[in-house]
Amino acid sequence: MSTITFDPRTLEQLQQQKSMRPWRKKPTRFTASVTLAVVIPALIVAALYLTSDIPVPILLVVIYLPLQLIASGIAAWATKGTRGIADSVIIVNAIGASLFSVIVLVSVIGSLIVRGLRALSPHFLFQNSVYISPSTPLDYGGIGHSLVGTLLIVFIASLISVPIGIATAVYITEVRGRAVPYVRFFVQAMSGVPSVVAGLFILTIVVATGAFNQSAFAGGLAYAILMLPTVARTAEEVLKLVPDDLRTGALALGSTRARTVLRVVIPAARTGIITAVILGVARVIGETAPLLLAAGNNDQTVVNPFGSPISSVPTYIFNNVALPYPDAVTRAWGSALVLIILVAILFTLARVIGRGRVGR
Amino acid sequence: MSTAEFEDVMDLDIEGVEASTVHPVGPTEMEARDVSVWFGQRKVLEGVNIVFPKKTVTALIGPSGCGKSTFIRTLNRLHELIPGAALAGSVLYEGKDIYDAAVDPVSIRLQIGMVFQKPNPFPSMTIRGNVLSGLKLSGMKRDNHDDIVEETLTAAGLWNEVKDRLGNAAGDLSGGQQQRLVIARALAVQPHVLLMDEPCSALDPASTLKIEETIRELSKEVTIIIVTHNMQQAVRVSDYTAFFLAEEGTPGHVVEQGATTEIFGNPQEQRTLDYVNGRFG
Ligand SMILES: Nc1ncnc2c1ncn2[C@@H]1O[C@H](COP(=O)(O)OP(=O)(O)O)[C@@H](O)[C@H]1O
Ligand SMILES: [Mg+2]
Repeated sequence: MSTITFDPRTLEQLQQQKSMRPWRKKPTRFTASVTLAVVIPALIVAALYLTSDIPVPILLVVIYLPLQLIASGIAAWATKGTRGIADSVIIVNAIGASLFSVIVLVSVIGSLIVRGLRALSPHFLFQNSVYISPSTPLDYGGIGHSLVGTLLIVFIASLISVPIGIATAVYITEVRGRAVPYVRFFVQAMSGVPSVVAGLFILTIVVATGAFNQSAFAGGLAYAILMLPTVARTAEEVLKLVPDDLRTGALALGSTRARTVLRVVIPAARTGIITAVILGVARVIGETAPLLLAAGNNDQTVVNPFGSPISSVPTYIFNNVALPYPDAVTRAWGSALVLIILVAILFTLARVIGRGRVGR
Repeated sequence: MSTAEFEDVMDLDIEGVEASTVHPVGPTEMEARDVSVWFGQRKVLEGVNIVFPKKTVTALIGPSGCGKSTFIRTLNRLHELIPGAALAGSVLYEGKDIYDAAVDPVSIRLQIGMVFQKPNPFPSMTIRGNVLSGLKLSGMKRDNHDDIVEETLTAAGLWNEVKDRLGNAAGDLSGGQQQRLVIARALAVQPHVLLMDEPCSALDPASTLKIEETIRELSKEVTIIIVTHNMQQAVRVSDYTAFFLAEEGTPGHVVEQGATTEIFGNPQEQRTLDYVNGRFG
């Protein structure tokens, strides 16, 4: 029988080992050709940019992209042979497309910051516009009343659309009744309703009939129409992810269908359902047309959801962005910045909650 | 031959067969009579007759796809939840057909609990919440929840491992622990019968042994019907065994059944002998 003896020298050697990542090592030939494939097209385009006056978009799309494709193709061919060419085409296009969307996003946010950041200040967030005229300097006034309005309207819209949306999703995934295809179709069709139509609809049946004023409530109704399909469809996807084992498990314990849904399925999908709600809110929060029609406008802070017309961030932007006063325009851009930050916060929240472990 | 004479002969014959296969000890808890099952047009089980005596363990063995899971799910009316499912014959529980129109499937499932192949604790609940979930879900009233939690977790062989963290999420437990938690959950509603569909197939050997101990212990109180692919397990835990088989394009049926010692020690059918000795399946 052979025994393995312990050799102290080996241990010493082992302890001197450094952590490495051998799979990251690339042959020099590979590194060189990739470097060339990246640098040469960039240099050519940079030279053209400095020496000629071809517009930048054309430079990028018509010259840089094909050049880069060719260069990468050659590099791939040099290192991996013909089978590398298809790979390189896909990779270059994927990187190019992602870069393009990042650039679009960054320039949107960038222009908001450039034009709106000057407006931001504590009083911009907390004051309303009662004594403010378009020519008032940025030292006074704010969008506090619009923020209150947006939050109130979104809250009302959620109150209406979330229960209905979840109930719709439950009908589709849990009840699985005969009408499922029709309900699905209806929800899908609803998600195609233009927001201005939702606003007009509420204007005609709620405001014009005299049932309610232009108000947070009427605005909330219009928003609810737009939110509902998003909430319902996202909640449906999320409920579908709940494993059937849990449903069967609950039924095997002598549970009714209704109790199974309320106590097991929905709680198991809780984080996903919160995500559905937040996505619904993010869907509507920037919609302007429905609120112009259903909620109206106001310079004062309104908290009564039924009483009177109410301001909101999107309508505030709409009302100020085209005025011939630089400060009013800056305020509009500032509000847009606030709105996009609000949406970003909502999405982050959705991410964080969606990731959160299920406790209790 | 007169009718009476014919019956006499038949009776004798049937008794002769039964004597060698079924050992009717004590009162009967459940009985499947001529159970046949379809999924859509496809017949997957044919004419299953098994008697389950009270407070015994019956093992259902047989190759994959022969209809063991399907059969066990007919015993607590979970089968009917599958779209396209159909059934003929009857399942008696305490002498009454559970498929009678007047019977509420919910009350049947409350008395005939089930543990599945894959542990399925409710992820939104704590360990304690899972144990008590059956009470909430079925609306059953029982006092002293703390005692119930301790008793059932002890019976499932899990108490010592979790007693200090009853408030933790059930998902934090290992697979073997989750399966024992699910057993405790099933016990908390005090079922008379416990169905187990390959409860150990996803578990490590140590957890498997723990669950086997639990089964032996539980059989003093409840009737257990367990599907298993593990021959040693069938021998270790069961009093009776039924061997299912679905031959080439035919529906599954029971080839042989009887005391576990007989099925494994002295099977009457060549196919049973081959299967229990691992020659197919
Ligand atoms: N939901 C279902 N729909 C259609 N056929 C099914 C379904 N479940 C099981 N079957 C079929 O019924 C037969 C028996 O399956 P099953 O009871 O799961 O076998 P076992 O548990 O013995 O492995 C198999 O042929 C399987 O394909
Ligand atoms: Mg099975």
